Amino acid sequence: MRLPAWKTVKRVLLALVILVVIAVLHYNLPQHDIVRITDTYEKRIDPGRNAFFWATPDAGSDPNATNRDVFFIQAVRPNGRVIVYRNEDTGWGWPPYFKFDTANLQAEAADLKSAADNPKWVVITHYGWRNQFFSIYPNAISIRPASGPGERIIPWASIIILGMLAFILLMIRRMWLQFRERMVDPALESVGEMVDRIDTKADLAAARARGLRGRLRAWFARLRNGPGRQ
Amino acid sequence: MMSGLLRLAVIGFLFLSAVYFIVRIYMRSLEAERLEKKWQEQGRPGTMDDFVERGLKAYEGSLRRRLIWLVYVVPTLLVAVLIYAVNFM
Repeated sequence: MRLPAWKTVKRVLLALVILVVIAVLHYNLPQHDIVRITDTYEKRIDPGRNAFFWATPDAGSDPNATNRDVFFIQAVRPNGRVIVYRNEDTGWGWPPYFKFDTANLQAEAADLKSAADNPKWVVITHYGWRNQFFSIYPNAISIRPASGPGERIIPWASIIILGMLAFILLMIRRMWLQFRERMVDPALESVGEMVDRIDTKADLAAARARGLRGRLRAWFARLRNGPGRQ
Repeated sequence: MMSGLLRLAVIGFLFLSAVYFIVRIYMRSLEAERLEKKWQEQGRPGTMDDFVERGLKAYEGSLRRRLIWLVYVVPTLLVAVLIYAVNFM
C-alpha cells in the first residue's frame, strides 16, 4: 500500500497546504513600509476577476453598486522604487482590521506629501500585495511620520497574532488528545472486547461443526496463543 | 454598515458559541480526570463515581467554570479596542 509514489503525493500536498497557509498569513498580516508619499489620487475602479483583492464598498454606502471611486496613495521607497497603495475601508469584513477612516487616512497621507529634495519619511502600515498583472494593490491601514529612512520597526501586531494562532493550535491539539484519551480509547476498547467475544463464539461454533478432532485442535491453538488472544 | 455588522455579529456569535461549548466539555473532562487522581491519592474514599460526581457538582459553581464565559467577552473587547486603535488613534 505504502508506495513511494503515494509518499511523494502526500509530501507535495502537505507542502501545498503549508504554502497556502503562509500566503494567507502574508497577505493578511500587517506589514510596515518606510516610504515618501509623492501624491494621492482617486480613480474609478470596476473590480472584475480581481474583485477578490478589492475591499467592499465604503461602510454605509450601497453594496450593489458595480463600480466606485477608490483612494490611492503613491509613494517612493528609500531605494528609489515606487509603490502604490489603495486606501479602502475593510469595514466589518475580512481581513478584520475594522478600518472605517479611509477619508481621514487619505487626508493624513496628503498632508505628509513631500518632494525628493526635502523628503518626509513615513511608516505606512498595510496588508495585501501589489501585483501589476492583476491590478491589485496593498491596502494602507495607517500612516505615521518615521524617524528616518532607516528606522527599525518591530512588528508587534504580527508577533502577537502569530502567538495567538500558535496558542490556539496548541489548545486544539491538547483538546483532541484529551478527547481521544477520555472518549475514543475507552469506546474502542469496549468495541474490541465485544469483537473478541464474538470471535470466540464463532470459533466455538466452527469447532463444533468440525467435530471433536477439530475442536481439540482449536483448543490447542487457543492455548498456544495464550488467554485473551485469538 | 448595519448589514456588515449584523453578519459579523451572527457569524461571530455562532462561532464563539461552538468554541464555548467545546471549551466547556474540555474543562469538565480535565476536572473529571483531576478528581479521579485525587480519589486515588485520598485512599479511595467510597466509590470513584460518587466522588467524581460530587467534585463535578462543586466545579459547576466554581469561578474557574464561570471564567469560560471569557470566550465571548475577550474577542468582543478585542474588536472594540481594535476599532478604536485603527480609526481613532
